Amino acid sequence: MNLTRAKKICFIFSLSFLILISDSVQKTSFAADIGNCLLCHKYPGLSRVDEEGRMRLFFINESIYNNGVHAKVKCEGCHTDITEIPHKAAKKVDCLVECHIIEPTTETKFSHKDVATFIKTSVHGKVDKIGNDKKFSEDYPSCKDCHDEPLYRPLSFFKKVRPGISEASLGRCRVCHKKDDFIYQFYNHVTTRLHKSRNPLNIAEMCGRCHDDSSLVTRHGLSTKAVFSYGETFHGKAATFLDERVPDCLDCHVNKGESVHQMLSHKDPLSSIHETNKGKVCATIDCHPSASPKLANYGVHSEFNLTQSPAQYFFTFFFIVLTGGTLLPLMGIIFLDLVRRFFPHATIGRRK
Amino acid sequence: MSTSSENIAASSKEAGADEYYTYVEGVGNIPRDIYKYVKSDPLGDLPRYSYHIVIQHFLTFITFLILAATGLTLHFASLWWAPLVMKLFGGPDTARLIHRIAAALMVIASVYHLITIIGGTLHKIMTKKFNINRTQIPLIKDAHDMVHDIKYFLGKEEQRPKMYKFMYKQKLHYVAILWGTFVLVSAGTSLLFPETMATIWPNPRFGQDLARLMHADEAIMAITVIVFWHWSNVHLVPGRFPLQWSFLTGRITREHQIEEHFLEYVYNLKEFPEEREYMKKILRENGYDTN
Repeated sequence: MNLTRAKKICFIFSLSFLILISDSVQKTSFAADIGNCLLCHKYPGLSRVDEEGRMRLFFINESIYNNGVHAKVKCEGCHTDITEIPHKAAKKVDCLVECHIIEPTTETKFSHKDVATFIKTSVHGKVDKIGNDKKFSEDYPSCKDCHDEPLYRPLSFFKKVRPGISEASLGRCRVCHKKDDFIYQFYNHVTTRLHKSRNPLNIAEMCGRCHDDSSLVTRHGLSTKAVFSYGETFHGKAATFLDERVPDCLDCHVNKGESVHQMLSHKDPLSSIHETNKGKVCATIDCHPSASPKLANYGVHSEFNLTQSPAQYFFTFFFIVLTGGTLLPLMGIIFLDLVRRFFPHATIGRRK
Repeated sequence: MSTSSENIAASSKEAGADEYYTYVEGVGNIPRDIYKYVKSDPLGDLPRYSYHIVIQHFLTFITFLILAATGLTLHFASLWWAPLVMKLFGGPDTARLIHRIAAALMVIASVYHLITIIGGTLHKIMTKKFNINRTQIPLIKDAHDMVHDIKYFLGKEEQRPKMYKFMYKQKLHYVAILWGTFVLVSAGTSLLFPETMATIWPNPRFGQDLARLMHADEAIMAITVIVFWHWSNVHLVPGRFPLQWSFLTGRITREHQIEEHFLEYVYNLKEFPEEREYMKKILRENGYDTN
C-alpha cells in the first residue's frame, strides 16, 4: 500500500467518523443552539461569583432544556445583547422581546408583550389606574418571580392511565406530518396547553413566595397569609398530596377563560372573587355544580388567630384546655397507680 | 339466692370503703385483699360484657384506628411522614373513601350500642332487675371512690375502695366517649355535606369553621386520651399487661374484679353458686372462717 492510498483511506475513515459524530451531536444537541453556545455552557461547573457576591450558575442542562417550552427559541432570541463569543456579562433577559418564532395564525414574530398589558391592569400591576406607581411598587412581581423555565407536561388521551406522550396519538400525526421533531414539538405544545403546566401544590408554593411572606403581607395590609390558610383547608391538604383536581389559587382568583395575568383585586367588581361574583366560583360544572352560591361564603383563608377570627381562636383554645384539663389529671391518677403498684409500701403522710 | 338490687345495696352499705371485711351470706367474711390469693384464668373467670358490647367495642376500636390513621395523615399533611402513610392507604382518594366507610361503621356501632343500652335498660326495668349501681351512670359514690383511690395510691389508705361494675375511671371514659362521638359525628357530617350545610348554617363561614376545628381538635383529644389513658389502664398497668382479654371474651379475671370491682364480685357471688364454693375454699385455705 503506497502512502497516497493510505492517506486516502485514512481521510475517508476520518470523514465517515466525523459525519457519524456530527450526526449524533445533531440528535442530542440543543436544537436552537445555532450559535454553538453549549460549547461552553454544557459544562455543569460553569459558574462565577457576581459583583453582589452571589454564586451564578451558567450551566444549561440540555436534556431538560429540550423538554421546555423555549426549546425552539435560539439563545440569541432572548440574549439579544450577546453578539460575539466569548461574550461579556450578559444583561437580564427582557421577556417582552420579540423572538424569531413566528406565531402561525398571524405570521408575526412572537413576544410576551400582551402579558405585560394584562399584568398592567391586574392586581399585580406596578401602577395604579391613573398611571402612578403603587405604594411599594418594587414588591410587585415581574415575570421571573412566578415563572421559571416551564417544562412540557403532555397529556395522554388514549388510555388515560398516565400523563405523557401517547404513541398512539403520534401515529395519527405521522400520517400527514413527516418530521418527528415537528410532531413532538407540536404535540407537546398543544397538550401541555390543554391543562395547567403546574399542579396545584406548585402553583400555591409559587404564590406563597410573596403571599406567605410576613413582611410583604404586613406592608401591603393583606388580611391573611393566603397560601398558609389555603393549606389548612381540605383543598389545600389534598393539594399537598399532589391531587391535581382540587382548586388552586388561579382557579378561584381568575375569571374563567381569561389569562392568569388578568387577576383582579377582590374589590374590583369585575373580579371573580368580588362579593357579587364569588357565589359563581364554587358552583362551576367542574367543582360543585349543584351547590348554592352560599357555598362560597365558607372561609377558605381562615387563620383562626385572635385578630382575624377571635371566636374561632377561643374555640380552639377551649379544646386545648379541655384536652389538657382532661388528660393531665387522668395521667396523674395513672402515675400514682403505677407508683403504688411498683412501691406498695411507699406512703405520703400517716397511713390509716 | 336473691339477686335483687336491694341486697346488693345493703351489701355495699355494710361494706364501707374503709372496712377490711365484707360479709356475704353463704360465704362468710371476705377480706378486701383476697384478690392476692385467688387464681385467675387470663381469658376471664366471670361475666362482664354481653356479646353485643364485645361486637360494639370491636367495631369501635377497629374503626377508631382507621379513622385516626387516615384523619391524622390529612390533618398533618405537611409533615414528612404524611405522604408515606397516605401512599399506604392508596392515595388521598382511597384514604377519603376508607375514612368515610370507617366513619359510617362507627356510627352504626354507636347506634347499635344505644339500642342495646336503651333496650336492655327498659327490659331490666320491666323485669325489676334494674340496678343503677351496675350502670355507667355517674353517682356521688364515684367521686368518693376516686378520692379514696387516690388516697390509696398515695399510701394513706391500706385498701382500694369497694367499687361497682363500672368504677370512676370507666365512667369518666364513657362520658368522654359519648361527648367525643357526638362532636365527631356531628362535625364530620357537616364536613361530609358542605353543599347542604351551606344552606343550613345561619352563618356558613362561622359554622363550617367550627365544624373543621371541632372535628380535628376533638379527634386529637380522643386519640391522646385513648393512647395515654385507655391503653395505660387496659394494657400497660402491671397485672393488665400486655392486654386484658375481656374485649374478646366478655369475661373478667377474678383477681381484677375483686381488686377494682369488689361490689360487682359480691353480686356475682350471689349469682353463681360455684363461685361461692370457690371463694369459701380460698378463705379456708388462707385461714379465714366461712359459713
